[in-house]
Amino acid sequence: MFNKVSHITDALAGQQYIASDEISTVVFLAEKMGKPILAEGPAGVGKTELAKAWAGASGRELIRLQCYEGLDEAKALYEWEYSKQMLYTQLLRDKISQVMSDASTLSEAADKLAAEENIFFSMRFLLPRPLLRALMSEKPVVLLIDEIDRADAEFEAFLLEILSDFQVSVPEIGTIKAKTQPAVVLTSNNTRELSEALKRRALYLYIDYPTMESELNIVKMRVPDLAPMVAKQIVEVVQKLRQLDLKKSPSVAETVDWAKALVAINARHLDEKTLNDTLTVILKHESDIQRARRALNSKTTRDVGLR
Amino acid sequence: MDTRVVEFVSALRSRGVRVSLAESADSLRAITAVGVMDRQLFKNALKTTLIKEPADVPTFEQLFPMFFSGEGAPLQTPQGLSPEQQEQLQNALDQLKQQIRELMKMLANGEQPSRKQLDQAAQQAGVSAQMRSFRMNQQTQRWLTERMLREMGLTPEQLQEAIEALMKELKMQGMNGEGREEVNETIEQNAEGMREQVAKYIGQNMLQQPDDNPYRRRIDDLMNRPLASLTDAETDELRNHVRRLVARLRSRAALRMRHAKEGDFDVKATMRYNQRYGGVPIELRFKRHHLKPKLTVIVDVSTSMRPVAEFMLRMVYEMQDQVSKARSFAFIDDIHDISITFVEHRPEEAVPIVLHELPPGHYNTDLGGSLSTFCQDYLDTVDRRTTVIFVGDGRNNYNDPRLDLVTVLKGRARRIVWMNPEPPYMWGQGDSDMMAYAPLCDAVHQVATLQQLADAIDDLFQKR
Repeated sequence: MFNKVSHITDALAGQQYIASDEISTVVFLAEKMGKPILAEGPAGVGKTELAKAWAGASGRELIRLQCYEGLDEAKALYEWEYSKQMLYTQLLRDKISQVMSDASTLSEAADKLAAEENIFFSMRFLLPRPLLRALMSEKPVVLLIDEIDRADAEFEAFLLEILSDFQVSVPEIGTIKAKTQPAVVLTSNNTRELSEALKRRALYLYIDYPTMESELNIVKMRVPDLAPMVAKQIVEVVQKLRQLDLKKSPSVAETVDWAKALVAINARHLDEKTLNDTLTVILKHESDIQRARRALNSKTTRDVGLR
Repeated sequence: MDTRVVEFVSALRSRGVRVSLAESADSLRAITAVGVMDRQLFKNALKTTLIKEPADVPTFEQLFPMFFSGEGAPLQTPQGLSPEQQEQLQNALDQLKQQIRELMKMLANGEQPSRKQLDQAAQQAGVSAQMRSFRMNQQTQRWLTERMLREMGLTPEQLQEAIEALMKELKMQGMNGEGREEVNETIEQNAEGMREQVAKYIGQNMLQQPDDNPYRRRIDDLMNRPLASLTDAETDELRNHVRRLVARLRSRAALRMRHAKEGDFDVKATMRYNQRYGGVPIELRFKRHHLKPKLTVIVDVSTSMRPVAEFMLRMVYEMQDQVSKARSFAFIDDIHDISITFVEHRPEEAVPIVLHELPPGHYNTDLGGSLSTFCQDYLDTVDRRTTVIFVGDGRNNYNDPRLDLVTVLKGRARRIVWMNPEPPYMWGQGDSDMMAYAPLCDAVHQVATLQQLADAIDDLFQKR
């Protein structure tokens, strides 16, 4: 489908995702080599967005598994639907006595029951969770495993098995093999070190904050209503803020939010009052806001030409 | 190209980048997929398959151009010489002295030196042997390059001489001025190209030597050196390493927290959860154990203790999310609550502030006095879930050690841990009261090095 790296860039751009050369190359290689992508980088630089854009660009369905501390197989892979099984048992009681009625001995009755028990452990009562859904899907999918660094190390190990063979075994049913191999994107915010084994199996992509130019392009693409002058100003401010030593640097997502906010309040230009009023959109810590105000009022006013 | 990539991988490895066999195989597959025509794509493909840590990217960026920047300007043959002039040139070359004949032939005819010829020259110049015995740095590299150029007769002076000799021969062969000019220019250009190749050859060979700049080993070495004996630069290096170290400790602590045996049977949660099974308790629920320790750290910040105190405070506060509550106090002659500094600032900023605000005096350490103030004012920071950590050498300047107060603390606290940078044989010598304090503690660690400090902190998060 994609024979050249530039095709990927174009297709992603079609999904409103501006991909750097590096990102497109990695996606291209993932397509060619069938390997998962491990995307690391600060929060809000578009790691999750990449998976969505890739799914959109390649016409695959996106299946998302959000990781958190304490995530286990039952929530990630599959679970038996006990309550449904129970309900069926209750409802089918009459039918069961009918089936059993012509059994003359106890062992014969047990055999009969045994012959029927498969129905209670069939796909009917299996509740597939994201991983199993990705494997069983008839159509090709993009499997997004978001914030893998939040899950525990054991879950990571379990994930490795699935990512290497693309099959799982459910004891009561047997092995389920992927019908089409899913394209996998793992994201990590780098809050803990991932295992060497996982890194080895994946194509590594470090996504950093974009350059001023590409961030401006992103803002223009996502918020076309914003006046170009304001767009330029807010990107300059955000880029400056990232240079400061803040508790949480503003992300690209927040830049876009800020742009939308400015459109909502119909700002024609970014004056000092508007800036101070809306700074909370990009900075989420009081101490950061204080620091940013100090830095911006002294420096940026002159540099960016704010009034 | 494959060998080139393999050489590149081995250079990465010798610089401390971990590259597995599977990864180098992947990189070959990747470059097959993207091709080698576009240099940027080629580079990205190698990067994504070989480099898995942001910290390794600079190494990659540094090495890549040394291996894949093309072979420099290709050597050329002199243009615009008539067949007659060509013959004159070859004849002239044959007339040259033996030492310079080979070189001038290559330069005049635009022949690339083969890898084997370069190896041979390196051998003769003794460069190969030197490479193994020197640490790699820019200076050695320049020096070795110079040596090899001299061996090959490529230094500007040697070349000048050789060209002059050739010119003389050409004149005797009867070549006109224009032709000679042409030959001269080509040779000089080619010599420049060849010099570049030699420099690159040396650079690549040095990079592949094992133990070149072994960053990881160096950190290990620093981890095991007494903190008090480090230079400022080394301390800075270790400070940068603390982050990584803490990240590892933190994930270990978090993992332990999960694996720890679960708490008591939780009746309410079990009943609620099993409503879905009609109240039949199919799945049991347990309370979670509160394993996160509460810490009260009492740190000696007198001159001798500063390096250890700094790293201790830094690490405790970097691990804050694994601690349910941390209070910290610093003392020299009296106790100071320094927790507030850590609330307002990040650890890397707070530590210097604390050390700045409590300037060390001369022989004025008084733990006994500090403890009595502590027990008056801050005893409420110690309860049965608190681990009290003393960081100090236990040297009291012959003041009263106030063992009674430590006993009071022991009665209230869950555990008392002492971290002392001095080796055990020095405890109890001179003004050290360590031998008196030690029996009152649940654990005593020697923490002279960062490694020992890390182990001691790891121990705090062990379940008991």
